[in-house]
Amino acid sequence: MGRIIVDGVSKHYADRRGTPVRALDAVNLAIEEQEIACIVGPSGCGKSTLLNLIAGFDTPSTGEISVDGVQVRGAGPDRIVVFQSPSLFPWLTARENVILGPRKRGVPASRYEEDARTMLASVGLEHFASRYPYELSGGMRQRLQIARALVNHPRVLLMDEPFAALDFQNRLAMQELVMRLWSRIHPTIFFITHDVEEAIFLGDRVYVMTASPGRIKATITVPFAKPRSIEVVTSPGFVAIKDQVLRLIRGEFARSDRAAEQAGAERSG
Amino acid sequence: MNDLDPQIEDGTGLRVAPALAEIKLSVAARTRPRPVWLGEVRYTLLSAATIIILLGLWALVTNLFHIPAMVLPSPQSILRHFRTMLLEGYAGHPLWEHVLVSVLRTLTGFSIGVTLAIPLGLWMGYSRTVNAILWPVFGFIRPIPPIAYIPLAILWFGIGEFSKVLLIFVASFNFTVLASAAGMRAVPEQLIRAGTNLGLSRWQMFVSVMLPAAMPQIFTGIKTSIAVSWAVMVAAELIAAQIGLGFIIEDAGTFFRTPEVMIGVAIIGAIGLVFEATVVAIERRVLHWQAKG
Repeated sequence: MGRIIVDGVSKHYADRRGTPVRALDAVNLAIEEQEIACIVGPSGCGKSTLLNLIAGFDTPSTGEISVDGVQVRGAGPDRIVVFQSPSLFPWLTARENVILGPRKRGVPASRYEEDARTMLASVGLEHFASRYPYELSGGMRQRLQIARALVNHPRVLLMDEPFAALDFQNRLAMQELVMRLWSRIHPTIFFITHDVEEAIFLGDRVYVMTASPGRIKATITVPFAKPRSIEVVTSPGFVAIKDQVLRLIRGEFARSDRAAEQAGAERSG
Repeated sequence: MNDLDPQIEDGTGLRVAPALAEIKLSVAARTRPRPVWLGEVRYTLLSAATIIILLGLWALVTNLFHIPAMVLPSPQSILRHFRTMLLEGYAGHPLWEHVLVSVLRTLTGFSIGVTLAIPLGLWMGYSRTVNAILWPVFGFIRPIPPIAYIPLAILWFGIGEFSKVLLIFVASFNFTVLASAAGMRAVPEQLIRAGTNLGLSRWQMFVSVMLPAAMPQIFTGIKTSIAVSWAVMVAAELIAAQIGLGFIIEDAGTFFRTPEVMIGVAIIGAIGLVFEATVVAIERRVLHWQAKG
């Protein structure tokens, strides 16, 4: 459950001035069941566009995306997104946020109440069930978002730089939490980040993307078995992979800088 | 020139700091700790002092100098007239009846206006088609001060109750409809995405996500509406009424009865405050989540 196929997907749109933007260009991905796939790349490389397409918030210009052989048409609770910016409903308590989806879809109360308790406990928020989001810290809000996602038993968890706004310690704790939750329920995770260490710690595969047009530049397979403990980040094998990824990204930065310079020269010339 | 030199500052700081700490300790030991509540109450006391000083000045000026009562009556004369009004009423009606009539007129027009405006405004905010159809009407009406309709209302519907309630209705309807539409349009995209993602139907999305998210702006509309309704009520009563607070100040003014005018104005102000405070209290309860982040 949770096999994602991205087949020749491109996404073009016109920006505010009407110039066409190739956000994604012929992207192919095959993400296996229970895999954690991490996408890294410069901002504006189309990572979020790709995530939105898999989530079904938007449709590809060409190509096709399918999950477990079924073409993605629109958003649904089998592919839940954990957003970076607050997307919790501020007028609902933590518990009410978590149960909203199943309650509205007609899941029996006995089941979703039980599920909600389990999920809140598994992200360490069992004592905060009746608190409102504004009473929670940034890290707790992201944990609540994860609980709200998992209570729907999604096949795929789509995480859009979920920990980018957190401080270092919180981020580490969240990464370990994701690893722990994965080892219990094994969802497929599509994880966007700009933190290379985060990508390698969590990912079975790390995909490096390039900007304009957005493409997958390289795929790095991370050989460490899951679940991983955070100590792995200091092992020589980890450092070697990090070095490799950083070099790929740095090359990408240099390239996009050159492209920007060139574009600037063309505009002024 | 040299006071920015870090070395000098550091040096003196090091030598002086322990001494300062000692002084602070000894001061703290000698003086009794100040009661905590005085800190907050101090500001209330200051506000009360302003009121007392203003009243005192008013009493002083009106009693020491020969100011015609028609221009500025003294506080004691106002109190005397207020007592008479309470006991004998005004123009054949008890004072409470004047108040009640004005309040009822306002609340009738206001509640009908708000009740119809919220759904329509939300619909306008939700559907671009509905908005395109209705916007020209409300967009044109919006900048017109509601009191400008008074002559038309009298021409079309006479000077009866209907005209007054209609004017108040129009005023509150206009403000609430536009605020609700704006609130609907301002629902964060992220929340709508989260809702679709959780599998909400269109109606569930409207009720559980968009409506609560639009609440802050709806309340802004309601707050404006209640204030404007009250103002329009006074204006309408100034022109055509036999009873009501607006009638009192108009009638008393015509007969140079300044104390009654001032009493009427004060009551109008007090009730306006009560309206506002009520809406704000409801808003705080409903929108508690809006206080932070």
